[in-house]
Amino acid sequence: MKRDALLRAKILKLVEEYYQERFAGRSFDPEKDTVHVAGRVFDAEELIKLVDSSLDFFLTANRYSDQFEAEFSEYFGLSNAYLVNSGSSANLAALTALTSPKLGERRLRPGDEVVTVAAGFPTTVTPILQNRLVPVFLDVNMGDYTVISSRIEEAIGPKTRLIAMAHTMGVPFDLDTVMRLAKAHNLWVVEDNCDALGSRYRGQLTGTFGDIATVSFYPAHHITMGEGGCVLTGDDLLGRILRSLRDWGRDCYCAGGENNTCGKRFSQQFGTLPHGYDHKYVYSHIGYNLKVTDMQAAVGVAQFRKLEDFISRRKVNFQKLYALLEAYQDRLILPHATPNADPSWFGFVLTVRDGAGFTRNELTSFLEANRIETRNLFSGNLLRQPAFMDIEHRVVGDLTNTDLITGRTFFIGVYPGIDDSQLEYIGSTFARFMRGERVV
Amino acid sequence: MPQKFRCQVTDILEHGERVYSVILKPEKVAPRFLPGQFLHLALDNYNPGDFWPDSRTFSIASAPDERHNLRITYAVKGQFTSRMETELCPGCEVWIKMPYGEFIVNAENDVCLLAGGTGVTAFTAFLTGLSAEHPRRVFLFYGARSPDLLIYRPLVDVVQQRCSCLKARFFAEQDTEGTDCLSGRIEAAIVFGLVSNPLSVTYYIAGPPEMINELTSGLGQRGVTQEHLVIDAWE
Repeated sequence: MKRDALLRAKILKLVEEYYQERFAGRSFDPEKDTVHVAGRVFDAEELIKLVDSSLDFFLTANRYSDQFEAEFSEYFGLSNAYLVNSGSSANLAALTALTSPKLGERRLRPGDEVVTVAAGFPTTVTPILQNRLVPVFLDVNMGDYTVISSRIEEAIGPKTRLIAMAHTMGVPFDLDTVMRLAKAHNLWVVEDNCDALGSRYRGQLTGTFGDIATVSFYPAHHITMGEGGCVLTGDDLLGRILRSLRDWGRDCYCAGGENNTCGKRFSQQFGTLPHGYDHKYVYSHIGYNLKVTDMQAAVGVAQFRKLEDFISRRKVNFQKLYALLEAYQDRLILPHATPNADPSWFGFVLTVRDGAGFTRNELTSFLEANRIETRNLFSGNLLRQPAFMDIEHRVVGDLTNTDLITGRTFFIGVYPGIDDSQLEYIGSTFARFMRGERVV
Repeated sequence: MPQKFRCQVTDILEHGERVYSVILKPEKVAPRFLPGQFLHLALDNYNPGDFWPDSRTFSIASAPDERHNLRITYAVKGQFTSRMETELCPGCEVWIKMPYGEFIVNAENDVCLLAGGTGVTAFTAFLTGLSAEHPRRVFLFYGARSPDLLIYRPLVDVVQQRCSCLKARFFAEQDTEGTDCLSGRIEAAIVFGLVSNPLSVTYYIAGPPEMINELTSGLGQRGVTQEHLVIDAWE
């Protein structure tokens, strides 16, 4: 073995020791530790791969990015998976891709309408606005917090071109209805799968139904690479457009540090550029730089190996929380899946019922005071947020439930970092609150 | 989506006049690809943490459902292919990255495939996948220096027997006596004489640069528009 390889092996061995010393073997202390809503769950492998990548010092996307994209696309059975720097960037790339001139008559144009929901994370909707499209908002069901699918058809008008929604909190929306209507009305479908990695609908992975799917790898999500996301499609033309948008809008698809992958670098004609203008610097889209580093991808490779375990632990935690809290169903709406769905749960969503005798903020304040983290269902009714109050939009029907969510809904964690002792602590804390204890 | 992987050379077929086919066994199943796409082959070792070494492009001649074995065909024309001729042998390893390219035949149209020499490999995967029920017309004009160098002719003959939609004509610049090959190069005038309603088909051209230039020009002069002309021109 060459000396550099020996040194690398020695460093990585030390990294493993460091992990054991610094991170391993922690246990939950209910007297002082916090039950987080989400967080990084990792072992020595993530640290080793991170350092291994740093020792390559390639920095930009390289072998770990290639590996992650290949394995991730295989997992979904889709031919294109492109890493980007966040789930929000994935959504931006997905929506923008559908405006590409390369799609001809099927491209989205300013003023076209997009069917979506107002209760969720803002960056499901912001790319609609950033591309000068018009969101058409529908209300959601209580309990599963996905679109009321019986209202979708009513929302489809002559300008409707796309349905773009999230599988909120890991719960697949009614894909039977969405895909049926998309086919009947020739609509694009973007699945925001950021909160739902590993969720299934009729046994099929969410993210594989629509034209484009997005995934987030922020630490709150099913697997993490710190900052990161991915955009997937089974359509190779959309794949090329997405890659172009991610990589500054360029036409060339050479990876970083590569040249003349197309074999035609100096012999093509583009626009009114001189014939043979270097293909590396030909831009066919108004693009972005949304790329990841290889160090992020290295962490992702290690995390992806744990995905199935993470999913099953989330499901187990969900079931245990349900058992602990179902006694309070007279005061709380407990979460449930949509029909035909097998969620890879993102969190445990609770809504305080009308007449419960307490408010959401009284309950969440009590939980937070006892070091149990809570989160609102993201933005609540997006149209009540300062940045969105004056946007061009349509609402079909009403947003009654969306407003209820804004005032009464929150979630606690189910992530794999929550163990039985933490679950037990959550159960006993809820019990104290339900017996009348309050923050003083 | 492109991937980089090691391949073992399992066989090399010598066709004469320094034209070879190479059979490659990937270390893992090769990624999905479409007929007409190409791969990069590197002779030097690739360290996955480092830069990709010098490589050249070759059409993937094997069918997309044969991802355990890949086939390319090359003619020795420069320094890199000379190295391939010298260095490649059964058992040796090369690095491949693939798939790339947009030279994909649109099977929803009537098409005319114009192939010169090893350029035919841009079409072999498409031809292999043709079904007996293919509803559109497919013309193939396939030329080489001599009939012996029409190395994919046996494949074309088999597909032609199976699929009535495929009409193939062969060309050779020499030694055509006693064969069914037309003498000379593929020319636009001949193509127009043999394809009925020639302005209704889409032309795909793969072969040496001079052949591409001549046919592009000749077809354009006869009214074939840019939308109906797709070329596979590599540097």
